[in-house]
Amino acid sequence: MKKIRLLLVDDESDFLSVYTRRFARRNVDVSTAATGKQAIEAVKSTRFDAVVLDVMMPGMSGIETLKKIKAIAPDIPVIILTGHANSEALIQGMGGGAFDYMLKPVGTDELYFKVLDAIKNRLVESD
Amino acid sequence: MQAIFNAISRFISKPTDGKDDSSERFLARCDNFRLLLAANNKALEIMAEMTEESQSGSLFGMSHVRGQSLKVAAGVRQMIERLCRMNPGKYDALKDTFNRIVLEMETAVVDHADRQQGPLVLALDEINAESISEAGSKMALLGEVCGELGVRVPLGFSITASAFRLFMDSTGLDDEINRLIQITDSIELDELYALEASIHHAIDLAAMPQELKEAIETGCNAFSADKDTVRLAIRSSALGEDSSEASFAGQFLSVLGVRPDNVLESYRSVVASMYSATAMTYRLSRGLREDGVIMCVGCMEMIDATAGGVIYTRDPVGKHEDALIVSAVPGLPCAIVDGTENADTWVLDRESLFIRKAVIVDKKWRHVVSATGGTNKERLLGNECSAPSISNDVVAWIAGIALRIEAHFDCPQDIEWAQDHDGRIFILQCRPLAVCEVQGEPESLPEIDKNAPFAILTDCIPSSPGIASGHVFMVETDEDMLRFPEGAILLVRTAKPRLSALLPKAAALIAEFGNATGHLANIAREFGIPALVGAPGAVDRLSRVGVVTVNAKTGTVYLGRRDDQMPGSNRIQVAPRNNEVVTALCRTLQFITPLTLTNPDSPEFAPENCVSLHDITRFCHEKAVAEMFRDGDRPGAKARRLVDKGPLQYWLVDLGGGTSVSNEDEYVDLRCVTSNAMRALWVGMTTIPWEGPPPVDPGGFMSIISEAAQNPSLAPGMANEMAERNYFIVSRNYCNLQSRFGFHFCTVEGFAGDEPDRNYAFFQFKGGAADKSRRMIRARLIADVLERQGFIAEVRDDALFARIEGVSKEAVERALAVTGYLLVHTRQIDMVMFDNKACQKYRDKFDTDIMVILNLMQNDNECSSNWRRES
Repeated sequence: MKKIRLLLVDDESDFLSVYTRRFARRNVDVSTAATGKQAIEAVKSTRFDAVVLDVMMPGMSGIETLKKIKAIAPDIPVIILTGHANSEALIQGMGGGAFDYMLKPVGTDELYFKVLDAIKNRLVESD
Repeated sequence: MQAIFNAISRFISKPTDGKDDSSERFLARCDNFRLLLAANNKALEIMAEMTEESQSGSLFGMSHVRGQSLKVAAGVRQMIERLCRMNPGKYDALKDTFNRIVLEMETAVVDHADRQQGPLVLALDEINAESISEAGSKMALLGEVCGELGVRVPLGFSITASAFRLFMDSTGLDDEINRLIQITDSIELDELYALEASIHHAIDLAAMPQELKEAIETGCNAFSADKDTVRLAIRSSALGEDSSEASFAGQFLSVLGVRPDNVLESYRSVVASMYSATAMTYRLSRGLREDGVIMCVGCMEMIDATAGGVIYTRDPVGKHEDALIVSAVPGLPCAIVDGTENADTWVLDRESLFIRKAVIVDKKWRHVVSATGGTNKERLLGNECSAPSISNDVVAWIAGIALRIEAHFDCPQDIEWAQDHDGRIFILQCRPLAVCEVQGEPESLPEIDKNAPFAILTDCIPSSPGIASGHVFMVETDEDMLRFPEGAILLVRTAKPRLSALLPKAAALIAEFGNATGHLANIAREFGIPALVGAPGAVDRLSRVGVVTVNAKTGTVYLGRRDDQMPGSNRIQVAPRNNEVVTALCRTLQFITPLTLTNPDSPEFAPENCVSLHDITRFCHEKAVAEMFRDGDRPGAKARRLVDKGPLQYWLVDLGGGTSVSNEDEYVDLRCVTSNAMRALWVGMTTIPWEGPPPVDPGGFMSIISEAAQNPSLAPGMANEMAERNYFIVSRNYCNLQSRFGFHFCTVEGFAGDEPDRNYAFFQFKGGAADKSRRMIRARLIADVLERQGFIAEVRDDALFARIEGVSKEAVERALAVTGYLLVHTRQIDMVMFDNKACQKYRDKFDTDIMVILNLMQNDNECSSNWRRES
């Protein structure tokens, strides 16, 4: 099966390194971005299968980043994953086309399967 | 649950052997539908968890409540998204309804603290009892007694609530701390220690706002001009601290002997102490909200004390009637409150101030202000050790002051005081004192204690009343704290306040050093835990003795469990059900769980009439099933009706490999089903015929009538078409059955392939027609049966969630057969779930029947041969 290309966007370096390692074991090709700006650059240059996006980041917020990613590549599924339990981010994120909104802490399996769900669901998006 | 969707995703990702685009899209639509069901199951599961949490008395904080409610909301929003994908544009109104409900839910639990911006510092002479919202209780009451009663208090100022908010908001600490608490979401002490370290680190790194720095420096200018000699006490004065319900005694930091140029760092430390593991445990145990906590800080000149101590204007243990208790040590009074030294104690008559009893103990140390900052311990010499810390005249003097303060506030007081070298008395703090009820006849003992031969410690001073029994566990190190077992007797050398983190788990507390007026004893009383604090010889005599019984009424510890001493637990509910957190949870649940949208055939069944997240799940589920299976104009979307000898009330959607006939047919014969998972499920459903509804007892019948009256969808004639249809979604190794048997809803799902890691069976069951208690009994009964078959089952309210994972193909087939059997045979038995006998009858029958079915499956060796016979 083709490797999944995943972009993880989070300002927490520990999170990025831990999940990069864990996803690599599941045959996922992970790229990382520590800011919204970096994420947008990455999306411009690479065709990702999915993006996992933090909400609270220095500089551009996750919601703003989501909007820009969707403007560049509307069909890339974006999963919001945040440690800030905030209903506004849920409303704005889902309203802005996120595939789902998840709260940290999240198990690697749970996130991995969510990514798989999101990728599969792209077929419906194009229905 | 994730395994479920992974399995399906894997299935769908397999090459489709030349299927055309419409088949691809159909599979994707099925996948979309499954995502909706998954989100539905997840949301319902968390709703059930939350409902249980609101009733169970378990410990959790606001971050957990927020996390749970957002997880439900995310699941519901996911359902809306999936439903909207099924028919673009048709259900968009749901999004507005969802947003409205979620925002209202958020507003309902916001902590309505006064957030008006005020001064960053307030001098003590500007503060009175009205200033609590800015200065916190400790400083406000101190300002009040100084201003109103002319009582002498140290010079000082308050760093206000506004200052705290400025610090938190301008640095983003507020969000960061909430995030750290959210991602930890734990009540375990070791994880709380790690959380404490993370939060302290974040606070250490945060830049202090310039205007706050300047305000504090200005505040410090009020002190003596000689900055080299003045030393300050930086004390917590948090909002909500020092109330009679929650004293927070010793939970937050006081930094003593601080040089004026170090106030900022000490301020940071006091703020950080709000997030110590000990303070977090205290809040969790008391059900106090951790969001919106506000730390006001008092900054006061240190009194270079010759003696200091605590006054209780009533006996908190209720042993001495009409008494006032004074305790004192030489030097600073910190040695009393932090439990490091034993103190002299006087019991005075409240009317006459006559000293009824004086206990002068041997003292070893005196705490003094250090010239270099902080405090030092000085060894007492000669007569100092045994001499009273203060004279009887001083005892009467401070008792008089204490009674004036009590009269002013009109409630018993816990007052900390100090005497300086000029003999002046300063009040350092005062707060309401919680007083236990008098324990029977004051100081009365049974005439003959028949357990006397077992007494290993006697004549200890009770610090918190009650009797408890348990294993003695000595705690000396942090590691010991982490290992402390639930229900043990906590034995410590010194009654340090940080040990309060263990009190929610402890049956009783025994401390060799310390006294009844210390912080730890105070917290023990709040938690209703029997405590003996200041029990000479306790460590030597009680270490490694095993089980003891602590009688904190008589001050005696007995070897072994003395049942005749135990009048039943007198322990109070640690986290009362109406506590702040549970109240907030219940308020949240009002927007989540009520189900008002019950009749899909009613014109009221519309997005705008959803009043809760549960309503939205109901609406989405109903409409999604309709979109998925009814809308015949979509290619491949039509479910095929199952036929055996005639048409059945079951429809089937084959994702591929689940049947041996073309998808284009309108009917599918049972014999053509090749899905091993569905076949196993069907074997379970049909091997033993259902005997029909159980004979209903009058109570059960009344219960169903009354339930139907409250729930229109249960009323005769209101059954909707959906209730009559049950849908199988199948593939070669997969089966999902959405069903409504009678009044209960079920989901059964399983994947039974060759790789055990990917296999699972899942069973969810909720509802019924009888009243809730009977439905709960039924859910528990089914859970028991499933657990005996290797499932992990959880019952929350009347909902059951059971799963089995990572097992062989055959084991999943057996599991599916078990669920199939239970699906059919537990119909309507909620109506007869009125006693243990009825339960046992069904339990026995179910176990026997299941054994028969599983034996049959085994004898046939293969599910397929059994299948042939059944079909």
